[in-house]
Amino acid sequence: MKALILVGGFGTRLRPLTLSVPKPLVEFANKPMILHQIEALKEIGVTEVVLAINYQPEVMLNFLKEFEAKLGIKITCSQETEPLGTAGPLALARDKLIDDSGEPFFVLNSDVISEYPLKEMIQFHKTHGGEASIMVTKVDEPSKYGVVVMEEATGEVERFVEKPKIFVGNKINAGIYLLNPSVLDRIELRPTSIEKEVFPKIAADKQLYAMVLPGFWMDIGQPRDYITGLRLYLDSLRKKSSSRLATGPHVVGNVLVDETAKIGEGCLIGPDVAIGPGCVVESGVRLSRCTVMRGVRIKKHACISSSIIGWHSTVGQWARVENMTILGEDVHVCDEIYSNGGVVLPHKEIKSSILKPEIVM
Amino acid sequence: MGSSGEKVVAVIMVGGPTKGTRFRPLSLNVAKPLFPLAGQPMVHHPISACKRIPNLAQIYLVGFYEEREFALYVSSISNELKVPVRYLREEKPHGSAGGLYNFRDRIMEDSPSHIFLLNCDVCCSFPLQEMLEAHRRYGGMGTILVIKVSAESASQFGELVADPDTKELLHYTEKPETFVSDLINCGVYVFTPDIFTAIQGVSSQRKDRANLRRVSSFEALQSATRSLPTDFVRLDQDILSPLAGKKQLYTYETMDFWEQIKTPGMSLKCSALYLAQFRYTSPHLLASGDGSKSATIIGDVFIHPSAKVHPTAKIGPNVSISANARIGPGARLISCIILDDVEVMENAVVIHAIVGWKSSIGRWSRVQAAGDFNAKLGITILGEAVSVEDEVVVVNSIVLPNKTLNVSVQEEIIL
Repeated sequence: MKALILVGGFGTRLRPLTLSVPKPLVEFANKPMILHQIEALKEIGVTEVVLAINYQPEVMLNFLKEFEAKLGIKITCSQETEPLGTAGPLALARDKLIDDSGEPFFVLNSDVISEYPLKEMIQFHKTHGGEASIMVTKVDEPSKYGVVVMEEATGEVERFVEKPKIFVGNKINAGIYLLNPSVLDRIELRPTSIEKEVFPKIAADKQLYAMVLPGFWMDIGQPRDYITGLRLYLDSLRKKSSSRLATGPHVVGNVLVDETAKIGEGCLIGPDVAIGPGCVVESGVRLSRCTVMRGVRIKKHACISSSIIGWHSTVGQWARVENMTILGEDVHVCDEIYSNGGVVLPHKEIKSSILKPEIVM
Repeated sequence: MGSSGEKVVAVIMVGGPTKGTRFRPLSLNVAKPLFPLAGQPMVHHPISACKRIPNLAQIYLVGFYEEREFALYVSSISNELKVPVRYLREEKPHGSAGGLYNFRDRIMEDSPSHIFLLNCDVCCSFPLQEMLEAHRRYGGMGTILVIKVSAESASQFGELVADPDTKELLHYTEKPETFVSDLINCGVYVFTPDIFTAIQGVSSQRKDRANLRRVSSFEALQSATRSLPTDFVRLDQDILSPLAGKKQLYTYETMDFWEQIKTPGMSLKCSALYLAQFRYTSPHLLASGDGSKSATIIGDVFIHPSAKVHPTAKIGPNVSISANARIGPGARLISCIILDDVEVMENAVVIHAIVGWKSSIGRWSRVQAAGDFNAKLGITILGEAVSVEDEVVVVNSIVLPNKTLNVSVQEEIIL
């Protein structure tokens, strides 16, 4: 079985992190974002994954070689020479997605994190017998997104409404699709939107069905949602394999710590924290609702909350870092500095406090 | 007077990628020395000035960038100016004087009688021939280009005191807290090969002191330079300051313009200064037009031969348009740098801005800034491949590469 992951472009919403690393390789819960999806696909028997990319293919290809071997799944790239939107890449990868088996293929959006109930989705798809299935998820503020209006009992999709002004429904497109090869006949090789052009046509033919996604869903393409997403992911991890979470007197709530990280005395870590490989957290440090990337050193008595600390950065003694502070790669926050929402580009030293949210170039 | 057969070598310090983050966001896409001012890469201006020195044998660019960043440029400029230009990469930092010393063998290959040392990010008229003549008259080891600035701004630079008659350097101090002098170091020097002996002297002295300190651990705690490796020699603190007042160093004052190009804002200001200079030195490089057959041109404007400008557009003053740019009907450009492959569509307005490579400025859109070259958001900067949609207004903002603006913004940095 095959799958396509829409990786797309520059990941500008996740800057400054994506100034150092292409977005699918930015770690989420100590694992590259795209690996979460590739592993879920491998688990249900997908044998080949095609990545639709248009940016930094060399970096992606190197990473993929490493994981192809480790995971035992074939990973290829389909590179757009011009942006093809959300449907065009499928046409571009047509030859890779269709084989003689006639089996449906998955399409995933690379920014999405969820429990990936892909087996249930295959079952749902077989039962309704339609051409395409999409996952939808319930949200509190549907008008921020594209709403899928569907018949509750069967899941048959009536129509899509982009950012509706009045309430038409509270289910939105979760970015996970299961499509029959015939869908490819509906897509031309040009910039095309799957929500605006392709799905509405399939819905009109009464061939599109929506399944409500059980469990959590988050689009982690921007820092605020990345941090919320970590909380949801770790909650889910607690239920499924809580042994992976850290325990101990210094841990509160759900905390993920890489085995190569070191944590000092008198720290209080959590809730909702991920600490990456090779990190050093010195004594007396307080961490909550934050992600600490590979190779970071947090010095004594520092306090970090609701922030993301980029690879190989350091946070000084008694520093206080909070309120959506995002540090890019190799950023050094000096001792006793306060950062309230500072967004700092790579290779910088922060020598004076950032009192209100500000971008530091 | 010096013999006319004596060779001269020029060394231009170009810096490196992580050395200065102040040139962001432009430095995210191009090495600062290659960013165009008045239609030519920044480093081209000191290089052209060096070319005017009689008996110039070689030009070396010294920096921390990867060789491949300069390979193409260096080969094309060598061909164009018919003088060998080479890029030498410093493997590790040696300080501003240590870097020169590090490559002394290459520099001395042609046995030059004089060596020019220039900083790439300095914008001035580079009166190198006059400096060399003055240097020969003074008979010292080195001559420093200096300029008078306002007393308030002097503290950002190296301040020096010179004898008003002999022009000897009497005192030098780097970025002092209190006022010393309104005469500052322009970052352009000429030396005789004795400079290498002086630099080596500093290294050995430091090595001796380091050895001595191993004996006394109390002294090790006191020393301010204990953390500097022995081969790290700074031109200002380690050579100029100690040798001031010893009849070795002299000054040559320039009355022309001088600026440091540390930020994108300053690059726009310096582009204008060089465009104004072209009017005297190479007026054929500037564009002209009155709206009949070609666009209306006001003031100093550079338009690359491959750029296309609609005759109904009005361009200038202080505009530089790079290769393959397209300026549409009715567009108005004032005080801006338009980089390669940019498309400015009908009736758009660009004032006090830098528009990045391959960007597109929509119809009736307006990209502008207050024009304060020193303020953080004083000029609007659009990175590579930024798209400003029709009728959108962008004021006093910085936009990183690959963004599309479909709503107006003011005073913002958009990542």
